[in-house]
This record gives sequence, structure tokens and C-alpha cells, in this order.
Amino acid sequence: MNNKLKVLRAMRNWSQAELADRLDVSRQAVNAIETGKYDPSLPLAFKLARLFDMPIEDIFDDGHEGNDND
Amino acid sequence: MTDADISKPRRRMSPRQKRYWTSLGLAGVIGGIVGGWMVADQANAPHSIGAIFSGALTPGFAMGASAAWVIGLAICMIIYHRAIDDHEEHAWLWASLAGWYAFIFPAPVWWVLHRAGMAPPAEAMILFVFSLVVNCIVYLWLKFR
Repeated sequence: MNNKLKVLRAMRNWSQAELADRLDVSRQAVNAIETGKYDPSLPLAFKLARLFDMPIEDIFDDGHEGNDND
Repeated sequence: MTDADISKPRRRMSPRQKRYWTSLGLAGVIGGIVGGWMVADQANAPHSIGAIFSGALTPGFAMGASAAWVIGLAICMIIYHRAIDDHEEHAWLWASLAGWYAFIFPAPVWWVLHRAGMAPPAEAMILFVFSLVVNCIVYLWLKFR
């Protein structure tokens, strides 16, 4: 699953460690999500969405095109 | 100290991180105590690699080490599983599954080969260590790749 985490983090000038602290996860977790090696759980995705004040679907993209309201 | 340093939030361990390192530290201390006790228990035994792994142990050590392993491991695991994040839990679960497979695939094969006179008796500790090694490799790969 693609995501904009690296871009959103860079826009706020946060390091991976700083973002990890804000989410209360390990730096390895942030790195794994950013590089697409790990898809976060729904609670962690919601935490990210709240932190960046964005809807989850604006952060994560499952590559599925079409109407979101299908 | 520069302005940039002052503006950076001071990084303290969160309660989750404290629980995490407590569980690992406690596991290390218990392992160190049991290992040291085992060496002391075999101080009068002949010094060889074979003696370390299969030499006779005193009943006192056997009971104490067993209790430390079971109770200590249970306490460490409870603290650990309350402390790990999503990503580590994911690594742990897949590593545990891989470790389980590393046990259930070879164990019956070894057992039937032995019963057919084609292999020595199945060694529980060899299977245990093999399972543990597979578990560790998969865990480290998923956590740090």
C-alpha cells in the first residue's frame, strides 16, 4: 500500500524518531510504514490521520481506482 | 546550546518504551542469573562442550532454573506484549509461526526415521534450538529490514 507519510513528515520537518515519539511507536515502525514494508493497523492509521489532521484515504492509497462510494 | 537544540522536544521514554525495556532487561537478568548458576552448578564437572550441554545437574538447580524460566518468561512476556507496537507485534507473530513450523515439520520426520532405524532418537533440545533460531531470524528480518 502506498502512502504519503514521508512527504507529510518532511513538510513538518520531523525526523522518523520524532514522528515515532508522537505516535508512541518505534522508529523501525515508522520506517517500515514509509517504505511500504508494513501496513499499519486501523488504530494506528487513525492515529496518523489525527496527527496530520487528514482523512486516512488522503494518507494511504491502496491503488484501487474508482468511486470511493461504491 | 543553539536555538535549534532548545526548540527540539526533549525525548523521554514513554511508558510504553519503559515497559518494553523493562521486559527485555528483566529477561536478560533472569537469563544471566540462570546461566551463571548453571556454570556454578557444574563447577566440579569435567570441562568440555559436551558436559555443558548434557552433563548432570543438581536437583536444586534443575528446580530453580525451571521455575525461573517458566515464571520469569511468563512475567517478561506479559510486560513485553503490553509494550510492543503494531509493527513489532506483526514481526513477533510471523516469527512465532515460522518457529512453530520449524518444529512441526522436522519433529515427526525425525521420529519416524528413528523408528525405522534410520536416525538417532529425536532430541527435543535440538528441535527447540532450531525453532528458536528460525524464530529469531524471521523476527529480526521483519523488524529491521
